[in-house]
Amino acid sequence: MFKIPKGKEVPLGCVTPAPVGEQPMMITGNWREFRPLLEPEKCDLCMNCIVFCPDACFQLDDAEEKVVLNEKYCKGCNICINECAPGALTAAYELDFDDGVVRLDKPF
Amino acid sequence: MASKVHQVTVWARGVVQDKEGRDIANGLARAAGQEGKFTQSFDNYVDLPDRVNVPLRKYARISDEEIEERYEYENLHPEVVIVADATIVKGIDVLRGMEKGGTLVVATDRRPEDILKFIPNRDLLGKIVCVDAKAICGDRTVDFSGSEGGVDSVGIGQGISAPILGALARGSELVKLDHLDAVVKNKDALHKGHEQAVVKTLN
Ligand code: SF4
Ligand code: SF4
Repeated sequence: MFKIPKGKEVPLGCVTPAPVGEQPMMITGNWREFRPLLEPEKCDLCMNCIVFCPDACFQLDDAEEKVVLNEKYCKGCNICINECAPGALTAAYELDFDDGVVRLDKPF
Repeated sequence: MASKVHQVTVWARGVVQDKEGRDIANGLARAAGQEGKFTQSFDNYVDLPDRVNVPLRKYARISDEEIEERYEYENLHPEVVIVADATIVKGIDVLRGMEKGGTLVVATDRRPEDILKFIPNRDLLGKIVCVDAKAICGDRTVDFSGSEGGVDSVGIGQGISAPILGALARGSELVKLDHLDAVVKNKDALHKGHEQAVVKTLN
């Protein structure tokens, strides 16, 4: 390991402050045209959506025994829909819902 | 005093609509140039056109006199905002910086009221124009020609940009259909967009 002299540390340009739960500097909910819509009665809690979502947008609600979508960050890639074997997730057009609004000033 | 510079901001989605968004800005500027206007059109420098679906901006400026701002690369006060994918209205404050009485053009299969409910600052609008651009020329990505400063071998207005520009000419005095006809490739879609646009005047 080489030592960086004190006072000479250079912050990396690509690094943003580490998020604890969510990354407020990269809200991706406004990329979404189609959201994954859950039909709870078809869900067998296989956890595929949780594992495959590239943005960790599905979380398990232990108490309720169900998976919950984070609409603020779901970017609508629909990978989870492909990975959901029982077909509990379907693509639903975003304008059909009043929720899921992020409304940023700028894309970033 | 220098004459007014009319600012137009286009919102589109990364990759899939990068060219269409650019075509709207370039097509508008070229068409306005046909009637002797001074124009500029350019991409937003900080947006990410190479990431799928990320909202991004393209700009056009039109003036009766030479435009002096060459290094200001954002339209801070657009009088016309064009949204190439309607779902962007839930993700972005598209009217930010607009002065009262502006125009919003949205590519959507929905009615103006269905779009307005997602726009909390809709009081700024004098007019909204909706056009079902995908129904007119299909939901497809035409090409990536012209991105990153590359040569556009396809030409302006082969995809949804054509009907959107037609709708713009219906709802705004900034550009005339005849002049758009001279620069837009898919003339059938341009004219269909002009005819089928739903214009709603507000306030
Ligand atoms: S659509 Fe994509 S981002 Fe959204 S929850 Fe599914 S996998 Fe995650
Ligand atoms: S992938 Fe489908 S079945 Fe599996 S937990 Fe997610 S929603 Fe339920």
